[in-house]
Amino acid sequence: MSDIDRRNFMKFGAAAVAAGSAASACPGLLNAMELELGGNDFHQIRTFHPRDRRPYLCTMCSYFDGGYTFAEDGEILKAEGNPDHIATRGKFCTKGLASFFGASDPDRILAPLKRVGNRGSGQWREIGWEEAIAEVAGKVQGALVDVDSIYLNEGGFKDGGTVRFMDTIGSRSVIRSRLPSIGTAPRQAALEEALGFNFILPDFEHTKYILNFGANIMETALPLAQRLTDGVVNNRLKLVTFEVRMSNTAGRSDLWFPVFPGSDGIIALAMANVIMQKGLANLDFIDTWTNYSSERLAADLEKFTPEMAEKASGVSAKIIKKIAIEFAKSKPATVFSHNGVSLHRNGIDAEMACLLLAVITGNIDNEGGYCLPRRFDVAPPAPAPAPVASASRQLNPRFPFEVKEGTRRVQVLFNHMSNPAYSSPAASLWREVLKDPELVPYLVDFSPFMSETSELADIILPDVVDVERHDVASSPTALWPWISMSYPDIKPRGQAQDVRLVLKQIIEAIDPDGSRGMKQYWAFTDTEQWVKQAVKATPGMKKKSYKRLKSKGVWPPYGKIDPATRQIVKNGEPVEADYHTYTATGFPTPSGKIEIRPPAWSGNPRHGALQSHQFVLTTFKVAYHTLSMTSNLKYLAELWHSNPLWINTGIGRELGIADGALVRVTSEVGYLVTKAWLTQGIHPQVVGISTSVGRTAYGRVARADPRAHAPFAREEQEDPDIDHNLWWRDGGVNPNDIIPVALDPETGAQLWNDTVVTVSPAERGDRYGDISVENARHFAIYRKLHEQA
Amino acid sequence: MREARRSYGLQTPGTRGMPGAKRYGMVIDLRKCIGCNSCMVACKAEFGVPMGVWRTWVKAADKGTYPNTKRIFMPRMCNHCDYPVCVRNCPTQATYKHKDGFVLQRYNRCIGCRTCMVACPYNARHLIPAKRTGKNLPTQVVDKCTLCVHRVKKGLVPACVQACVGGARIFGDLNDPNSEVAQLAARETLMVLKPELGTSPSVSYIGGDWEIMDEPHSYTNRTARLREEFNTFKRNHDGDAFGDIVEGESTMAEVGKNFVGFLRSIPHKAKEVFDAYVNLYLR
Amino acid sequence: MDESVIISNVFHHVAWGTTIAVYFWLVGASAGSFVVSSFGWVFGIKRYKPLALSASVTAIILLLLVPILLIWDLGKPLRFIYLILPSYWHATGPMSWGTVLIMTYPIAMIVYSYFVIKNNELWAKIIGILSIVLALSTHWYTGVVMELNPGRFLNHTALAPLLFLTGAFISGIGLLVLILWVRNMIVSAARRIEWSLIYEMAQYMMYGLVFDAFLLFLEFMQSIYGSQNEVMGHEEVLLGVFRFPYLWMEIVFGLIVPFVILVSPLKRTRFGVIVASILVAVGVYGMRIWWVMGGQYLQTFY
Ligand SMILES: Nc1nc2c(c(=O)[nH]1)N[C@H]1C(S)=C(S)[C@@H](COP(=O)(O)OP(=O)(O)OC[C@H]3O[C@@H](n4cnc5c(=O)[nH]c(N)nc54)[C@H](O)[C@@H]3O)O[C@H]1N2
Ligand SMILES: Nc1nc2c(c(=O)[nH]1)N[C@H]1C(S)=C(S)[C@@H](COP(=O)(O)OP(=O)(O)OC[C@H]3O[C@@H](n4cnc5c(=O)[nH]c(N)nc54)[C@H](O)[C@@H]3O)O[C@H]1N2
Ligand code: SF4
Ligand code: SF4
Ligand code: SF4
Ligand code: SF4
Ligand code: SF4
Ligand SMILES: [Mo]
Repeated sequence: MSDIDRRNFMKFGAAAVAAGSAASACPGLLNAMELELGGNDFHQIRTFHPRDRRPYLCTMCSYFDGGYTFAEDGEILKAEGNPDHIATRGKFCTKGLASFFGASDPDRILAPLKRVGNRGSGQWREIGWEEAIAEVAGKVQGALVDVDSIYLNEGGFKDGGTVRFMDTIGSRSVIRSRLPSIGTAPRQAALEEALGFNFILPDFEHTKYILNFGANIMETALPLAQRLTDGVVNNRLKLVTFEVRMSNTAGRSDLWFPVFPGSDGIIALAMANVIMQKGLANLDFIDTWTNYSSERLAADLEKFTPEMAEKASGVSAKIIKKIAIEFAKSKPATVFSHNGVSLHRNGIDAEMACLLLAVITGNIDNEGGYCLPRRFDVAPPAPAPAPVASASRQLNPRFPFEVKEGTRRVQVLFNHMSNPAYSSPAASLWREVLKDPELVPYLVDFSPFMSETSELADIILPDVVDVERHDVASSPTALWPWISMSYPDIKPRGQAQDVRLVLKQIIEAIDPDGSRGMKQYWAFTDTEQWVKQAVKATPGMKKKSYKRLKSKGVWPPYGKIDPATRQIVKNGEPVEADYHTYTATGFPTPSGKIEIRPPAWSGNPRHGALQSHQFVLTTFKVAYHTLSMTSNLKYLAELWHSNPLWINTGIGRELGIADGALVRVTSEVGYLVTKAWLTQGIHPQVVGISTSVGRTAYGRVARADPRAHAPFAREEQEDPDIDHNLWWRDGGVNPNDIIPVALDPETGAQLWNDTVVTVSPAERGDRYGDISVENARHFAIYRKLHEQA
Repeated sequence: MREARRSYGLQTPGTRGMPGAKRYGMVIDLRKCIGCNSCMVACKAEFGVPMGVWRTWVKAADKGTYPNTKRIFMPRMCNHCDYPVCVRNCPTQATYKHKDGFVLQRYNRCIGCRTCMVACPYNARHLIPAKRTGKNLPTQVVDKCTLCVHRVKKGLVPACVQACVGGARIFGDLNDPNSEVAQLAARETLMVLKPELGTSPSVSYIGGDWEIMDEPHSYTNRTARLREEFNTFKRNHDGDAFGDIVEGESTMAEVGKNFVGFLRSIPHKAKEVFDAYVNLYLR
Repeated sequence: MDESVIISNVFHHVAWGTTIAVYFWLVGASAGSFVVSSFGWVFGIKRYKPLALSASVTAIILLLLVPILLIWDLGKPLRFIYLILPSYWHATGPMSWGTVLIMTYPIAMIVYSYFVIKNNELWAKIIGILSIVLALSTHWYTGVVMELNPGRFLNHTALAPLLFLTGAFISGIGLLVLILWVRNMIVSAARRIEWSLIYEMAQYMMYGLVFDAFLLFLEFMQSIYGSQNEVMGHEEVLLGVFRFPYLWMEIVFGLIVPFVILVSPLKRTRFGVIVASILVAVGVYGMRIWWVMGGQYLQTFY
């Protein structure tokens, strides 16, 4: 009692003092002091009122940066990176900073919703959890005889227990819209084959030279970008980027070479060839640590000449030679590559070629080189069901086609953290299939928001949002392994429930007495217990790990970050990383060495010979959004809400397209109408459209329409800022309906950068945002692909 | 160089280089700025800044002709001028220069006349819209970057500095030779915005590019998208009260519409005033 | 190398918009009509004595109504009182001076009108002189409040108060002519103002137009030979976005056309004078628009 009184008294007192200090011109409160880089936060007016701090783990992308949220009276008002976090170093990107707004989003779903009326008609009835669980459990129970007809479409950077659920019931039918760790499938496959790891970390902080192929580091890999900028000033590193368009990364590089799409592989191989020829390679390293001998490698590379690369890519042979020599002579140097390389028909070979550059120069796991990933493998809480589904790495682009042609029978489809109706290729076909109760009899979506996919569901079970979730994760984003925790310590809004708890109740409903052997895996009482068990089971954890994670958010403690140098220091000394870790253990490949595939390059048949108004369409990510998860966050949407078509200024003029004019972008399956942005920063044979905008669902911010209140929006959640101040009306155009499937034959990943389109001025009657596609053509393309395979 | 000494109103004089006095400020190292806009979002979240107004923002420009092009970024905020025109022109002393270098707002004094907005050569100020998120936060008074004085007082760097992914924003006392900012100032060439105006900004840049720092250039060289967005902004964001002319349309109609808008805003405003009166005296 | 293109930026409003422009316009008209009113009593031009009262009443009414606009435009209208609280008063703020002027000027005019009604030559003259100074100052201040912003290139010119005063003078006469015209239609024949007098006033308006054109020419010279901001401001803002109020409303229809009317035989016709008056009044409104908003416009992109 007295405590509370005192607190209230303090609050009032503080408010009065603050008002007083604001009113007197010169309070003179500032003394010489060391300023902290973060870790605390105060009310802007009631300055003596600290905000409550809780550890937070950003799951907006697979980098899993650790941070803090700050709350007042149970309402989160701010998030920031954890300054004691070895990888994050106190930095969050815009998505991490803004995602907490999801909790108070007025368009958030706060109670289980059951569809009334037809699928997609937008009519819902709020039901209680009991009814919802009973219904879903009933459907699962009914389908258990053919357990593989129970599907999970998983897109989460963390799966939230859904895969464990599938393992528990014994269904193998897990399809994924994205892989849980960093990088898309072809890249992961290449790295796994060569190194035994699915990721490799460039040490930007200490390097002298970076060769970047198709990775938009400054927009999509923020924990790496912050090290890059340190290197720019401290080491005067040189950043050379091969890209098809001027992303922020390309635009900030020392050199940017616009390349013809899909030609990075041959450039890398030609460079490797030059390096071998000039005797600049680290032959010892090749001979000891790869499955290849240096002579054979040199011989195998010989045919990939810079001239050949020039022909394919448009980058002059002379430059390729020069860059190759510069790179090889710079010690240390590193390489990075990403979707621009990996999501092409020749992606795996091209990724291998990029890696090869680091390998032949010996820049593997050395200071400033290309380093092996360091992370903790977060274990599932014990006892865990035998992995059935988690072994499956199937990607989902084929799914709607297979369902439509009848090769897959679906009875129940669970959807978690994925939005194929918006973000998958042939999105219009996904919608057709998901809408059809014959093909997909029962669709359950775990989602706090009404996405394009949720709109088609039969029942929506509202998940908590990330700031309300208690969880742990680790990601190989630093030279030291770390594990991070979210400990929200606040109640979820409304009736939202963590997916793990919902799944537990479903399991309890279908296996009430444990006789089916399912209940044992879901014995935890709450997520705290789940996380405790997970931490306990994770190799490398100590007894006090959980406690420390709960208070500081990150483990282990390596030291403090020096605000000036941004280096981690302990007792005044910078903490050094271990390099050359492979010397002791070898690589986790069958041979213990780096397993290089014979160098190969195939031109990209899909690009063929482009006609004069034909272009390769690249659809890229921007710094302020994660695919379709962030579009309703007002501060992010304010930064980025429309996606004009990037087209080279010269070409645009040739085609009679003015800056800002309406254009038709036509693919094999149909067209969309959008506005052109004439820019000097794109290859003349490429056009670009950003993802993440062009929403038809998700909320009024995402749709750029402040009047589009959801029927389930709650009065008490309303944000006057959205209703009155949302000023933009152009919400962009989603490119995914006109993008046909193009699959990597080895991994089944969608090759997002291979679409060929024609661009023409809009025709009469075309309106901005028009999309017209024929799903039959989507299907025909799939059939053709299937036959070829 | 001798500093031109002026009196800028009844306020603390500039403290540039004054022994014993503080001058908190920021050096923005544009070599390190990656245009991630974390600073913008951190600042907005810190203060719950409504949509359509900004305390800080990051301009971006594309430079050059294909294939020799570059992208440049330029974070902007209040310069916490040593000779702030905004302070001089404010009729109520609502804005003032703190002796440690901050130029601050007193919301409870501000009448929302926007004289300071007209005076500021840098667009650093905005009128807070009537509706915003957050209870008990000021509305319809002028606001601006406070250099996060509430954090600095408590021993923390400003929110945008905290968040800056590139580490481009460096904060400290420019008068203290041991501070990082002063050392940078000694080592590198610093640029400030519109130095010719003699405002003596406390925010300076390393590696600035005039093509983005220059005012008329920003006006002429805009993409069609920016032009269009600006017009939507004017139409939808409290446009009536301000009466901006929308660009690129028949201006005769615009001037007429504008005037009608003004007439229409009268009942709105009357209601606002009435509500405020009720709030103030009758509740 | 091509020049750079700004690809991303935030947006800013013009801080002072229509309300302020309308205020400047009306307050100018007030000052203008008061100057006319003073012809008779202060400058001793006897013919104008009958005009004095209607002119000063116009001026007073305008000036009592118009500050409401200013208060109206405040974000916190109820706090207008802060402008006159001594502990808040800020001596270096141009608006502070304006507050004092706007408060004293109507009082002075009322007193002056009282003496005019009482036919007290001496005091009417003394207070008249004071009021004239205040009238000019009130309007000088509207120019100055925009001028003393060194960052607003189109406004930051020492000619600003002169431009404002000239505008005030001509639009004041214009409005007054219109008011007298209406008045003449209403009142009894005996109390009508002679049209010849109105024609004469129109001639003053014509001289005002000439002077205004001269000032505009000076401004024009300065901007096209000026800094990049000034050149740009003139070319892109005044001749671009604000072409209608600047070129058409003010220069063509507010200056040239009425000038032509007023030097042609039409100057001695009711039609001519009334049309010219309307055009001048509207033209000055155009000037207020571009002057207030145009100067800020350039910077809204910065
Ligand atoms: N901000 C943000 N960050 C993210 C995500 C997000 O959604 N938003 N998502 C996360 C996920 S799931 C992923 S997979 C990663 C993806 O991270 P990235 O791979 O960095 O991002 P993308 O935008 O898919 O593609 C990178 C670039 O490849 C370019 N490109 C296209 N074709 C070619 C080519 O032939 N050659 C070359 N050299 N470049 C080409 C595109 O222009 C694009 O800029 O980002 C992660 N981080
Ligand atoms: N054109 C084009 N399309 C692309 C790409 C491209 O480069 N170009 N990139 C592709 C890549 S690399 C990827 S990884 C995929 C990603 O595509 P998806 O895996 O489909 O991911 P998102 O679109 O981000 O959808 C996530 C959904 O999860 C839901 N959600 C958000 N927060 C929560 C939460 O807290 N809990 C729960 N339960 N649900 C939540 C929301 O409904 C959101 O729509 O997109 C692909 N799509
Ligand atoms: S990079 Fe951004 S989205 Fe990804 S984990 Fe870090 S803060 Fe979150
Ligand atoms: S930048 Fe503008 S608001 Fe900030 S101190 Fe200078 S004049 Fe005032
Ligand atoms: S808006 Fe407020 S701070 Fe600005 S000049 Fe007016 S009273 Fe002063
Ligand atoms: S110093 Fe504070 S108020 Fe100013 S821009 Fe940075 S975060 Fe915003
Ligand atoms: S946070 Fe830092 S790096 Fe990012 S845009 Fe702002 S100033 Fe630039
Ligand atoms: Mo991805």
